[in-house]
Amino acid sequence: MGVTCVSQMPVAEGKSVQQTVELLTRKLEMLGAEKQGTFCVDCETYHTAASTLGSQGQAGKLMYVMHNSEYPLSCFALFENGPCLVADTNFDVLMVKLKGFFQSAKASKIETRGTRYQYCDFLVKVGTVTMGPSARGISVEVEYGPCVVASDCWSLLLEFLQSFLGSHTPGAPAVFGSRHDAVYSPADTMVQYMELFNKIRKQQQVIETRKPNQ
Amino acid sequence: MEAPPVTMMPVTGGTINMMEYLLQGSVLDHSLESLIHRLRGLCDNMEPETFVDHEMVFLLKGQQASPFVLRARRSLDRTGAPWHLRYLGQPEMGDKNRHALVRNCVDIATSENLTDFLMEMGFRMDHEFVARGHLFRKGIMKIVVYKVFRILVPGNTENTEALSLSYLVELSVVAPAGQDVVSDDMRNFAEQLKPLVHLEKIDPKRLM
Repeated sequence: MGVTCVSQMPVAEGKSVQQTVELLTRKLEMLGAEKQGTFCVDCETYHTAASTLGSQGQAGKLMYVMHNSEYPLSCFALFENGPCLVADTNFDVLMVKLKGFFQSAKASKIETRGTRYQYCDFLVKVGTVTMGPSARGISVEVEYGPCVVASDCWSLLLEFLQSFLGSHTPGAPAVFGSRHDAVYSPADTMVQYMELFNKIRKQQQVIETRKPNQ
Repeated sequence: MEAPPVTMMPVTGGTINMMEYLLQGSVLDHSLESLIHRLRGLCDNMEPETFVDHEMVFLLKGQQASPFVLRARRSLDRTGAPWHLRYLGQPEMGDKNRHALVRNCVDIATSENLTDFLMEMGFRMDHEFVARGHLFRKGIMKIVVYKVFRILVPGNTENTEALSLSYLVELSVVAPAGQDVVSDDMRNFAEQLKPLVHLEKIDPKRLM
């Protein structure tokens, strides 16, 4: 996998999530990008069951189990600021066996679905982030296929991002910063999605607490 | 807490339950060559395969009486091979006529940071060992003849000592739940290895 940047596109003023996604995809099509199927990235959250906490004496940790349609036979499991395990899909079966120790927070299953666009060496995925039935935001993933070292191609990626995201272009992802010359891997993309999903979950909570004041 | 017992149901929650059928026995070191010779004749024609594996057993203790056990295994002689994580359920009790030990198993290939990840989940390593031996196949049956080595200094797989003067012989099949005919085939194969080695259904609980 090439170096990838995952970011959030804020919803345009006065428009819905779907309309903003349409604006973005139209821009991409005008640039000359070709539609190439769909994609889906999902994330389930597990937390250590109360029964295990007592004997371990540590605060409950959140574990994220994610899937990416780009790697259909894999499953990614990660802790925030912790290691990211890449495993095959039997890991989901193991999580069922671990039901007594790790409880799934069913309500917080979050996913992003959308279209894949190929533009020369760039693969762009624009997705609608949903939690249950409601759309919560927009994710934009851009991968530059030929390069696997982040520091070598960040400026090129940035230029491309600016061409269709304009003022909403993100800064360099945190995963790039930690290891300058390390080979980029799919686990780094999943960490970026986890951070994006967490940000979106928090944003929605902010909106919900404002409502009573209106 | 162990997972709820897996019965004859082949599918639970959308995934197929895989069961491991197992027969075990052992041979003294001096009988190894004749056993290998017979296995080479009986099993599928392939280059003799040897292996050196390092296995670590992790436990997750909860408030329940029995901890959750996971086995992490990696190859010491094949670079680039993925790590292997294995869950084995309790042996299914029931049919006394069933010739092999049957237990639910889940096999997962993972990246190299498996041990760090398991520690983060709350697992703690209970014990580790090195297994060195030979691998044979006959159809879906797998036959392994290996010696267990104790690791003297935790984490150091170079410095090991043999646990006994014998080799462990295991005949196993991983198949979807409900296919008991597999154990008949295993028994028939085991008959052909007598009297060099007697492969039996050994209930781990009886040893404790």
